[in-house]
Amino acid sequence: MTSDADAVLDLHDIQGNIIKAYPRFGYPRARNFFLRVSDGDAGRAFLSALIPTITTAAPWTSGGASVENSQRPLVTTNIGFTYDGLKRLGVPRASLQTFPEEFAMGMSARRDILGDDGPSAPTRWDPVWQGTEPVHIFVSINGRDAAGLEQRYREILALLPVAGVELAAGHRCQSEGALLPYQDSSAIFVDGEATSREHFGYSDGISNPYFKGAGTDSSNVIGGGKATGKDPRTAAGWEPLETGEFLLGHKDEAFEYPVAPVPNLLGDNGTFLVYRKLHQNVGSFDSYLDGEGAKFPGGKEALAAKFAGRWRNGAPITSFATERKANEFAAEWAAAKLAIGQASTQAEREAAKQRFSALNTEFVGFDFTSDLAGGGCPVSAHVRRVNPRSALEFNVKGAFSTPSALSNRRRILRRGLPYGDSRAERKDEGEHGIIFMALCASIRRQFEFVQQQWIDYGNDFRVGNDKDPLLGNHGLDENGECDGRMVIESDPKSPAPPYLCAKIPRFVETRGGDYFFVPSLTALRMIAHGIVDPT
Amino acid sequence: MSNLAGKANAMTLITPIDGQVMALINKGIFFFLGTRFLKHKLNGLLTLSMIHYARWVILSARDFPRLSAAQPAEELDYSYMLFFSNFNGSWAQYVDSFSVAIPDGLDGLWWRNVGWPHSVPEEPFHRYVTDNQLWTSHYHSAYPMAASNDIKSAKVVKDQLRAFARDTERDEPNAFLERYNRLLKSLQHDLGRMAPTPIVSLATQAVDERRRADAHLKA
Amino acid sequence: MSNENGNAYALTTLCPLMAVCGQDASPAALIRDRLHIVNTGAWSPLAKVPNVYFSRLLILDDVVYQSKPHRLEHLKSQYLVFEASLHGKLGPFLEGMWQCAEPFIRSMWEFCVGFSEVRDARTFTAFIEKCQVKTTFFFNGSTDEPLAEQLKSLYLKQEFSKFAYDHQGLSAKELQAAFKAFIARVEPENLARPTWRAGATDLSNVVIP
Repeated sequence: MTSDADAVLDLHDIQGNIIKAYPRFGYPRARNFFLRVSDGDAGRAFLSALIPTITTAAPWTSGGASVENSQRPLVTTNIGFTYDGLKRLGVPRASLQTFPEEFAMGMSARRDILGDDGPSAPTRWDPVWQGTEPVHIFVSINGRDAAGLEQRYREILALLPVAGVELAAGHRCQSEGALLPYQDSSAIFVDGEATSREHFGYSDGISNPYFKGAGTDSSNVIGGGKATGKDPRTAAGWEPLETGEFLLGHKDEAFEYPVAPVPNLLGDNGTFLVYRKLHQNVGSFDSYLDGEGAKFPGGKEALAAKFAGRWRNGAPITSFATERKANEFAAEWAAAKLAIGQASTQAEREAAKQRFSALNTEFVGFDFTSDLAGGGCPVSAHVRRVNPRSALEFNVKGAFSTPSALSNRRRILRRGLPYGDSRAERKDEGEHGIIFMALCASIRRQFEFVQQQWIDYGNDFRVGNDKDPLLGNHGLDENGECDGRMVIESDPKSPAPPYLCAKIPRFVETRGGDYFFVPSLTALRMIAHGIVDPT
Repeated sequence: MSNLAGKANAMTLITPIDGQVMALINKGIFFFLGTRFLKHKLNGLLTLSMIHYARWVILSARDFPRLSAAQPAEELDYSYMLFFSNFNGSWAQYVDSFSVAIPDGLDGLWWRNVGWPHSVPEEPFHRYVTDNQLWTSHYHSAYPMAASNDIKSAKVVKDQLRAFARDTERDEPNAFLERYNRLLKSLQHDLGRMAPTPIVSLATQAVDERRRADAHLKA
Repeated sequence: MSNENGNAYALTTLCPLMAVCGQDASPAALIRDRLHIVNTGAWSPLAKVPNVYFSRLLILDDVVYQSKPHRLEHLKSQYLVFEASLHGKLGPFLEGMWQCAEPFIRSMWEFCVGFSEVRDARTFTAFIEKCQVKTTFFFNGSTDEPLAEQLKSLYLKQEFSKFAYDHQGLSAKELQAAFKAFIARVEPENLARPTWRAGATDLSNVVIP
């Protein structure tokens, strides 16, 4: 509960991908491509031509134009820049120097911080990231179907000048050795319906931070905000996060503006985006689950749930302790969703929506305070590591100024989608994985910290150097065998010993990416006009 | 020069306190911190569990050691607080953890320090720490691969393992297995593996690599 | 006694440096240079000294000016700051330090006021006690066991963890036999060996077999 006024955001000035997770709005497909600028004038001219197409965060109405709200576009378009890109486009050095160090270095130079070693090393990344120069501009388009994407892609390419701005080629795609000048990604479709599944079979992207001014359904604060210590199943258990954790130029959780580039018009309403192509070794994952799952009490699905902290259908293991309960919940949820469409009256529809919303909340309305020992959700499980909620207070009431104090400044907005198709053949080889995108005000304090301290290490959870079972950069032992490991704690009330998972292979490998600045529309226009001046 | 020794990070600060009276008040705060009246205030620090050992030393001019008449006596208006910490994680993680989790606690300890900006917001606090920080020229940790959590956990393992080995010496196999499983259960939060620190600082990593290369050349 | 917290001891010393030492650099600068090239990790001279958990050495040139409106003032001497977190009593520690690291001590303290009187463990101890300042508050976030116990504990934790993983699912008989062999190898009560080497920075050289 705070006396601060909620941020009122100028949504027309903010790029849409920051505020909206497009797949949830009916845009389950995306195409990401990258450009290199060799001539600043040409680059700026291209930007000017592109700006009218950029999708803002202004709310959409489903029909009927109004001054306030925008029509729902067929395809969305957003843009970001690397440090080198800003430099090429003529942003003055005096401004460039005010950008954070990690952004200026770029992601491949940060490989030792991020654990991008061995199979994840930049030398193994897609050729597009191996050029003599980094990429400069990132354009992402989201659409409903492949045809829409292709059309917008062509329209944008048509804006490219004769010389001075080039499409960066070299994304590995499905067929053997083939390289494309773009990276497609898409929700995995089952029976013609977009699902939230990823290639290991988990329901992904369930939880995202909720911050002041986000403008969406306020019930999203449950699980998405910061913990208050009250019942996490209800709205009383959560408060929105400060806008400045995700958007520059707004108050953040440290009661100040986040460090931002100068002049403030360059940074305000902008943010940083981390793009990572993460290959998934689905063959290794399946065979590890099969092999270990045969030994694990509860079987393969339970093991999969222990790794992630959610059953593969998305039900959090903290709230749904058995596969049966998780499946029952999933069935209830599906039925409730169906009921909305089948409602015959307005009142029925409202009731059905409420019922569905309440069930939806169960996916995110939980905390770990009644599961400190990890008997439900293991301490090392993925969701618990990347968002510990109040767990780091270790149930010492009042130890910290707020229960989730150590988690509040480590949150990231996630905007990615899977790529490739792994259903025909469940192998490690092949091009399939996730195009992971994280948005946050500070790459170092938010994304890099979680990656280094919570995914590739375990001290904050008191598990030594043990890593995230799914995402950790597990290595090889002196005999060349996989040596990832994870303790799966047993319930305090049960006499059973913990289950020790050994020889976990590296399931996820980095195949490319970089750090981007996602400016406001105001800043975009300033960059395009070449008038950025911190004097 | 380095403030890092594996997982351990040394922070050394020297900050002025506004005069003798304030120094006395500050000492009083520390005194009560150690007593049962304020011990609960340490809960935050203990839960953070990032610190091996830390100490505060408050000095006035006459407390500076003088070993000969030829050595001039110090003449200082301010008193000085020296702070030495051995902690885990990066500098930023350490400083931010205090700012975000136990800001009141820090204010209590530093409030009479001249120029203290309060521990929230973070940026001025970062600057205050950096401006008043002393860099270590030689830093030694007896266990660079152990965080404070690892040390505490290791004691638990050692105590229980010794007792278990003694107590089960004459057990029948089935009884042994049952007690072994209970031991594992009891130690299920202490089975994390230890290994070298993650690279929290590329600058330190570069210096370390250079030192290794130099040592190799000299060998 | 605020230097102590249980069995742990906080030694804080400010050892005044001479103003000049007849060389073309100040004593402070010379000592700092020497400190910078001392071996670190398992090869630090302090790694051989019993019962020191952590220690740092640095040169305190001067106090730090806080900018206007605060007052500018200066120290009249520079100090070699030697700080250590130890187990046990000060006297035995300093004796151990002299026995194990005398050349290091003679080199780093060479230009300290009053150090010319130091020629053995007893005079070194007397010298350090004169340089000692009282700790106002000592926070122990760790244990106060002897260092040898801590190192043995780390060794046992690492080895037992590996044992537990490697022997999951065995029959009672097999497990018990393996455990007995394990105990014979790791010798839980033997602090001297096998154990972890003080100051070791990576897994390839941490175990003293």
